[in-house]
Amino acid sequence: MSNTVLSTRDLVRDTLTLILAGGQGERLSPLTKDRSKPAVPFGGAYRIVDFTLSNCINSGLRQIYVLTQYKSYSLDKHLQRGWNIFSYESGEFCYRIPPQHRVGQKWYMGTADAVYQNIYLLENRRPSYVLILSGDHIYRMDYARMLKHHAMHDGCLTLSAAVVPKEGADQFGILEVDENWKVVGFEEKPRDPKTIPGDPDHCLVNMGVYIFDTKELVQELCLDVKRVDSHHDFGKDIIPALVKQGQVHAYAFRDAKTHESMYWRDIGTLDSYYETAMELVSREPQFDLYDPKWVFRAWQPPVPPFKSVHGFTEDGHLPGRVEDSIVGGGSIISGGIVERSIVGRSVRINSFSKVSDSIIMDDVTIGRYAQLKRCIVDKDVIIPENFRIGFDEEQDRRLFTVSASGIVVVPKGMDLTDQA
Amino acid sequence: MSKVLIVDDEPHLRLLYETELRRVGYETMTASNAQQGLEFVETMKPDLVILDIRMAGMDGIEALQHILERNNSIPVVLNTAFSSYRDNYLTWAADAYVTKSADVTELLETVDGLLHQGMKAEQ
Repeated sequence: MSNTVLSTRDLVRDTLTLILAGGQGERLSPLTKDRSKPAVPFGGAYRIVDFTLSNCINSGLRQIYVLTQYKSYSLDKHLQRGWNIFSYESGEFCYRIPPQHRVGQKWYMGTADAVYQNIYLLENRRPSYVLILSGDHIYRMDYARMLKHHAMHDGCLTLSAAVVPKEGADQFGILEVDENWKVVGFEEKPRDPKTIPGDPDHCLVNMGVYIFDTKELVQELCLDVKRVDSHHDFGKDIIPALVKQGQVHAYAFRDAKTHESMYWRDIGTLDSYYETAMELVSREPQFDLYDPKWVFRAWQPPVPPFKSVHGFTEDGHLPGRVEDSIVGGGSIISGGIVERSIVGRSVRINSFSKVSDSIIMDDVTIGRYAQLKRCIVDKDVIIPENFRIGFDEEQDRRLFTVSASGIVVVPKGMDLTDQA
Repeated sequence: MSKVLIVDDEPHLRLLYETELRRVGYETMTASNAQQGLEFVETMKPDLVILDIRMAGMDGIEALQHILERNNSIPVVLNTAFSSYRDNYLTWAADAYVTKSADVTELLETVDGLLHQGMKAEQ
């Protein structure tokens, strides 16, 4: 803790950001067949990691390392093309760090091990603070506010806590705090989650957003590496150890004025992916992509604007129609119908076809008379004429992946020509 | 009797540490470089390692990482003539850092302390 009150500018300049982007995301398979979870496309124009990176930029944090691990090609390509916006000569950077096996030959054993194996990055820069983020959450957060909070409170670790209803909170890491918001207990997925003092209906969930004093972080990682029974994980090992020492403070992720909880989603499963994405096409989504004060950046390829045109029949013409949907640039809806859906870039939706309650990723072509409902179609798929997805459960299960709640997922590049 | 492995490329220091450690009742073994030291860690399973940092070939900091990866319960005392290595975060993972001196009191106390701690934990 520093007693001198530092300006936000000083704080962000003295902070190094590490984004953990190695998540395999097995439960998101087949969307993660060829890519890590942070590289999964989301919302028609983004990859999941874009939200965390945009939060960094909007918070003024411009010294960023992205730690990658599994299937990193897609993420590498995306960061190279979409995030080459840093002024390296002014000391800003966003470097991708694959496992370099500097310390031993193993893959990262846990999140703490990923940081320990890259401790030289901290040594080179010697920042006062290290902000550790996860590359696979959807939210909007000003980390600079949290930094200020960290600098003004005791403890070497501040972790951000989402305020969630008690019901369903048992799926997360739950924080127990005293009246000063010092963390006094931490449990992973407890059966009976502890609630906030004075608010018996809500719990505090660990969001995986951590600010450490660098020296204490290094000390703790070096102690952890000696623990025989450790998983080398922040959630399982480092945080519980620091909580015992009374070193952890919680930062409530809620509206400063109204105290209402703010939007935060951890996309764990195909169903939560689908639901989170579909919230975007509601009339007034809680998560606002359209706020000019907090722009979410992404890789924007030079595609022409979206176009919707009539299709032609013997009787005349048939209008292309789009309702309650997001459609990416370069896409053409030519006489087809799209409702309550998210359509990516350079998608072609042909006459008499109908897409509803679905997510269609980039470079997909949907043939005439095809009908799709409640499905996710990954990139580079050609849906043949007359093909139907989401209507025949037996066929869907035979050909595709079907989620717990019945969402059909067509993997990237799947060839359906023989199935038509 | 606890076994202490001394890894140092200077013969006179190996001799000094051996003599002093044996005098107070430890069993000792020595290695003249990091590679040999790591082999001894694997084969002889010492109770503690005294590890020089600046050595030809693999240095002590790298050797420490190998010990941590495979035998992280063995305490390691880094022993160097230079206090500047303390700036290297990786040295913080050692159990102790003792600056080289002709007076071995601090080294002996550190070894005693660490092995005594280990004995307490076993009981």
